Amino acid sequence: MTIAPPMPPTDARRAFFDARRAFEAVNLSVRIGSLTLANPVMPASGCFGPALGRLIPVAELGAVVTKTVFGTPRGGNAAHRLTELRAGMVNSVGIPSRGAAGYLAAQHPLYLALGVPVIVSVGGHRPGEYAPVVRGLRGAGDAYELNVSCPNLDRHGTDIGSDPDAIGTVVQAVRRETDKPLIVKLPVLVSSIADCAQAAEAAGADAVCVANSIPALPLTADTRSPVLGNVIGGLSGPNIRPVVLRLVWLAARAVDIPVIACGGIETADDALDYFSVGARAVQVGTASFGRPFAMVEIIRALQERCEGAAAADIAELIELWRA
Amino acid sequence: MTGTTATVAERLAVLRRQQAFAAADEAALAGLIAVRPPERMPRPDPVWDDAAVLVHEVVGERYRRLVLASATIATTALAGQFLMITVPPALGERILLPRPMAIHRRHPEQGTVEVIYGVAGRGTTALVDVGVGERLLVTGPLGRGFEFPDAAGPDAAGPRPARTALMIGRGVGVCAIMGSVEDAARLGIDATVVLSGRSRANLIGSADCAELGATVIPVTDDDGSSALAALGERLRGLFAGAPPDVILVCGAGVLARLAAELGAEWGVPVQVSLEAHMACGLGYCHGCAAPVATDPAVEGPLVCVDGPVFDAVLPAG
Repeated sequence: MTIAPPMPPTDARRAFFDARRAFEAVNLSVRIGSLTLANPVMPASGCFGPALGRLIPVAELGAVVTKTVFGTPRGGNAAHRLTELRAGMVNSVGIPSRGAAGYLAAQHPLYLALGVPVIVSVGGHRPGEYAPVVRGLRGAGDAYELNVSCPNLDRHGTDIGSDPDAIGTVVQAVRRETDKPLIVKLPVLVSSIADCAQAAEAAGADAVCVANSIPALPLTADTRSPVLGNVIGGLSGPNIRPVVLRLVWLAARAVDIPVIACGGIETADDALDYFSVGARAVQVGTASFGRPFAMVEIIRALQERCEGAAAADIAELIELWRA
Repeated sequence: MTGTTATVAERLAVLRRQQAFAAADEAALAGLIAVRPPERMPRPDPVWDDAAVLVHEVVGERYRRLVLASATIATTALAGQFLMITVPPALGERILLPRPMAIHRRHPEQGTVEVIYGVAGRGTTALVDVGVGERLLVTGPLGRGFEFPDAAGPDAAGPRPARTALMIGRGVGVCAIMGSVEDAARLGIDATVVLSGRSRANLIGSADCAELGATVIPVTDDDGSSALAALGERLRGLFAGAPPDVILVCGAGVLARLAAELGAEWGVPVQVSLEAHMACGLGYCHGCAAPVATDPAVEGPLVCVDGPVFDAVLPAG
């Protein structure tokens, strides 16, 4: 019996890397405060890690966003940490963090090596905890995303981000620590997204990100008992898109700073929905799990759409639709 | 509507038995799991591929076998590594998260890999509809696989390569150990493979083991041969005086516990492959916490990158 030599290693990933091309007549760049991103597509915090750089051409992304860094180490929640329902994915990972010092030592070098702007996500359990984390990061990162969708231990666990006063307190305190762009990542469950976005803008934020996963309670199909070790988790995926689309629309009408949309984006068309209601950039989360290359596909498709319509940028593309 | 009461009682009994079994299985892993030392062979770089489905067929009563064309994965995957398989959109069903599945066989000459899955939930039910000739998005090879550690040599002779291995797989967990059966055949290691399942019709891997020259011990629930006490006694008898150099196990917490007990009695290392719900398979989603108790301020190991293969060591005392 003869054995053929092993087939040469070819795979779809390699072809995808090779398919990159320049779009000279299209400008997708976007400004977040003093930071200019080459294009408006970045991962949602928690849905990206440097390990993804082995699967996709990360250099094509507008930016990368880190997992949320807290001041001190956190272990994360008990298993099970995630599940999938017909309604979408629900996670209760609980944001394990090595703390600011651990992030600087173990993770930041890996993010830096990716060659695109690094937005460091920062978390806290109280409004006063954010500024010390940013101080602890000692200038690392090109911008900070303040994850205020965390229970405020000073106020019986209400989300910091659902309280305009608390948002203002956080942003003012962090502003005193850094001149770098600040993005405030707002939660879904707020009484007025406009008030929350305006509080961030008034306190000196350079952008708001709308929104985060939606608190949810997944049950098992057989015994109707909680699936997740933490009982409650955050719902994400395409089904939350119409909910977040409304929030982005409301926020974009309320503030002049850019709104970064985050909620169920899977395709360039989904991103264009958000751009058409006023978003200036988008974050992609859950879609990357099933399709690791989703973000790069979206960027390439946005470029092709603009080129195909002879539009110089996304704003012009949207104007052309409406003309 | 006859016999409704009995039916409800019967159903409850079945459900409670299943729950008790699941609880026992989880409890069996308590204190057992430890991250393995760094591997001797560097892990291959994972890729994603649009893998053509060459075979998609029923295996036994409960399983399906997929043969996927991916030359890169077939030539680089190590024993015990896994794939993330993205289920394509089907009518009325959108599956968001890819499903982790062990690589059952590697055929580098053909550029193909095999996986076997049980139809259990929404994802695997939707996967059934994928036809031969269609393509599946697969990412891999992923995770830390099985290894044959050197065995202690006689007296001062120092460690020597493993010569014998006991492998124990149950249900679809057999797939995780089959790569090691392949490696054993290649390395001239004498492999004894326990294949455990509900019934003969549901045993996976008999033909593979025969092809690879491994000695098979089939055990099933329907004749009682898979019962832990019976299996333990049988293995103690079989290996009396000449224990295997290593034990590899996958498919049930209680079997991992039995393997760890045998390993402690015989003074040989035990490796176990675990499964977990996961979203990324690469470590960045942090979704698959391994059942290891740690300081609450420190994140414990993840099944996808620190495993799926761990050491199984009986807790002291």
